[in-house]
Amino acid sequence: MADMHGLIDTLQFVFAPQIVNGLSIGVAVILMALGLTIIFGLLDVINMAHGEFYALGAYLAVSLLAAGVNFWVCLVAVPVLMLPVGYVVERALIQRVFDRKDRHVLTLLLTFGLGVVLEDAFRVVYGPNTVRVDTPIGGAAQILGMYFPNYRLFVMAVGAAIVAAVWIVVFRTSMGAIVRAAAYDRQMASSLGVPVARVYSATFAFGIGLAGLAGVLLAPIYSVFPTMGKDFILLAFTVVIVGGLGSIKGAVIAGIVLMQIQALASLYISPVWTDPLLFGVMVLVLMWRPRGLFGALGNG
Amino acid sequence: MNARRRSSFGGGSPSRLQPDVDTGPLLAVHDLSVHFGALRAVDQVSFGVAKRSITSVIGPNGAGKSTLFNLISGSIRPDRGRVVFRDVDVTGWSSNRLLDIGLARSFQVTNLFFELPVFENLRLAAQRLEPTWRAMLPTPRSTRALRRAEELIVRFGLAHKATEAAGALSHGEQRRLEIAVALASKPELMLLDEPTQGMSHVDTAETAALIRSIADEVTVLLIEHDVRLVMDLSDHVIVMHQGAKLAEGDPASVRMDGKVQAAYFGEAVHA
Amino acid sequence: MADAGSVIEAVRRSEDSRRRSLSAFALAFVAFGVAFAAIAAARGEVFFLRLATEALIFGGLALSADILLGYAGMLSLGQALFFGLGAYVSALVLKNVLPSFWLAMLVTLLVTTLIGLIAAVIATRARGVYFALITFGLAQVVAKVVFNTPSLGASDGIIGVPVIAIDLGVGQVTAASPAAFFLFCLAFIMALYCLCAYLARTPGGRVLAAIRSNEDRVPFLGYPVTRARMLAFVLAADVAALSGALYPVLRGFVSPELLYFEVSGNAIITVIIGGMGTLIGPLYGSALIVVLKSVIGSYTAHHLIVIGSLFVLAVIFFPQGLIGAVRPSLERRFALRAAPLRR
Repeated sequence: MADMHGLIDTLQFVFAPQIVNGLSIGVAVILMALGLTIIFGLLDVINMAHGEFYALGAYLAVSLLAAGVNFWVCLVAVPVLMLPVGYVVERALIQRVFDRKDRHVLTLLLTFGLGVVLEDAFRVVYGPNTVRVDTPIGGAAQILGMYFPNYRLFVMAVGAAIVAAVWIVVFRTSMGAIVRAAAYDRQMASSLGVPVARVYSATFAFGIGLAGLAGVLLAPIYSVFPTMGKDFILLAFTVVIVGGLGSIKGAVIAGIVLMQIQALASLYISPVWTDPLLFGVMVLVLMWRPRGLFGALGNG
Repeated sequence: MNARRRSSFGGGSPSRLQPDVDTGPLLAVHDLSVHFGALRAVDQVSFGVAKRSITSVIGPNGAGKSTLFNLISGSIRPDRGRVVFRDVDVTGWSSNRLLDIGLARSFQVTNLFFELPVFENLRLAAQRLEPTWRAMLPTPRSTRALRRAEELIVRFGLAHKATEAAGALSHGEQRRLEIAVALASKPELMLLDEPTQGMSHVDTAETAALIRSIADEVTVLLIEHDVRLVMDLSDHVIVMHQGAKLAEGDPASVRMDGKVQAAYFGEAVHA
Repeated sequence: MADAGSVIEAVRRSEDSRRRSLSAFALAFVAFGVAFAAIAAARGEVFFLRLATEALIFGGLALSADILLGYAGMLSLGQALFFGLGAYVSALVLKNVLPSFWLAMLVTLLVTTLIGLIAAVIATRARGVYFALITFGLAQVVAKVVFNTPSLGASDGIIGVPVIAIDLGVGQVTAASPAAFFLFCLAFIMALYCLCAYLARTPGGRVLAAIRSNEDRVPFLGYPVTRARMLAFVLAADVAALSGALYPVLRGFVSPELLYFEVSGNAIITVIIGGMGTLIGPLYGSALIVVLKSVIGSYTAHHLIVIGSLFVLAVIFFPQGLIGAVRPSLERRFALRAAPLRR
């Protein structure tokens, strides 16, 4: 009987917090991964600046909050502000190299250069130090005898809602159908009257908007600093590669599974080694399925 | 006879082959099948290609000709059946191993190194004639490769464009270069995938002459759309229809075959 | 009608003019270096000599990135892994085993070849962007592990690497003499350059160029693509590591920052700005970026905005880079001059 109690205690006080912790990081990573995978699925672009757009979202929130704007307004305003940024970046930079032969590499280089510039720009405008953002919801809720910060629970709920919303937009609306058609066959979509170039720009903007939203949402948890995107981008890429570049379902499932592996593994091994562990999982998945677990955007 | 093959750069798989036995066919395909989903792209196809012959595979679009080529040349694996080349079972071998024992191919959609000069395209292919240990010696010493590339560029009428990028050639020239590249490593058997695809009448006639001229150093297996060209060139014709072999024989007998006329020539009369 | 002999002759002439224009750039680079060393030594500019030596060392890293990107068409976002590996191995040997430069180089070469092979097995299975992301991840993971490994000095790195004298057989070069060590590094990096430039002209190097141009066609010419990519990867790893091995000799320490993405990214920026696929371009690029950094640095600490923007513009408007922009006119000059000499 004592053993039974011990087991339940272990489950309740050791595993459960880690699982919840893993879920809340998972939501952050999934939001990043969603933008990355949508952009790749349609445009074949690896957006190396995605982490910096995430940071840009957080910094915009910092500025708006400083100007007296309510946090809940920021949550909507920042992604909306990010849309034109994404649109212009796609138009001004990515479209320029889109028809060249090695555009995979060129667009990756372009977005990498953009990330370098953005990161330094954050230092110029906001300084190199960490900025704290106050948690808009205080307190904690007691669930199954454990306490969870209310804001984390909120983030998880919002994250799930966003994933569902993206899913519906991409797979259940005519707008999503146009995007998927353009991803499936560019020429064909174009000949059917789809304004492919504009769809590309809009999709890129959408992905950037998601990154910005993640930035606002997570600013109160992880605080804001110029290289904040870098810490996340490797995790996000790992998730996207394991899930399959271009797959929304893959990003979600891989995000949840990998973050759980990381959270639970850190009970047994030093946190230093969880990164190599996840990377090892990624390499193994790639050896088994070179294109990741799930197919591209067209197949969901 | 070019029985002494060279090994590949970085090892490859040097294939010690038995001396050629002149009895059997150079290439024998037994019961080859592959399906994509519900589609039986190639269905129990068997045939042989005699040494020093020109054998052609014809058939309407979607008959499985290109898939058949991909099965033989190692691009895709068959579900069933065997490919025997020079009395060696080569089923499922990788493309570079196949080239090692003398099976080369060209492509229906021109597949060259477009950024590289014409001569470089040929030299790259001819480099296979050099032993592996030369891989890290300067190219000017690779005289066998140089001479082979030079011989082919002259023979295929591309000498005046030797230093131009392959991408700058006209369509007809690119198609010729495609054949020359496949020929450069002195293969025993060449698979030519629609060599006259998209060519003008004049170019087609020239290409036919070229194919005839290479036939005394290499065995040719050909996929062609142009029926007249096939009947003109081939020693042996295989007709495919809906993934299966419909008929085979010399051009005259195939032309007379009722099934073939119904399935194939009936449709092609207007051409 | 062109006869047989004249074809090879024409091809050779065209290749010679290309090669000579690059050799001219290489010779000019050495000339600049020697002239710089003479002037700086005469004026006692220790700071600039050290800075220039560092530019050479990072130029070697960029050279390794160009082998992959410019020749084999493989974008590596993790060359810092091997650069840092070389730096750490060399620092450990010099500090804990024997302060012998050549021993440090030999051990670096052996260790890097082994680890490079393992990394090649993992990374070269992947193509295109997958390769880029795997090399990125590999380097990040190793950087994090090194950062947290106390026996490697963790975040401090390894400090107190002794100042050594390099035995050249006929005499010695001491790393304490800025001018002499600069010239030694110039010779060392140029030796690496010559090795790479030579290999690029061999049949094996031509296969790499073919892979870059049209990877899918190469197996049908009889070459094993994956093996060629692995060899290129290991070669690039060795070049990066040997360059990195010079770093502790110059600075007396190594730190985990050498393994960071900034270093890998900087190498790619250097390659693009200098001229991808030219091998000498990255060395010029490295010098140019160091000059830019110190010029901009005298106005603001934020040189990355400028260099990043320059890089973005280069990708869009000058994908051939510095050397690529200058070379065509030089090549024409060589072609004109070579023609009458030949016959």
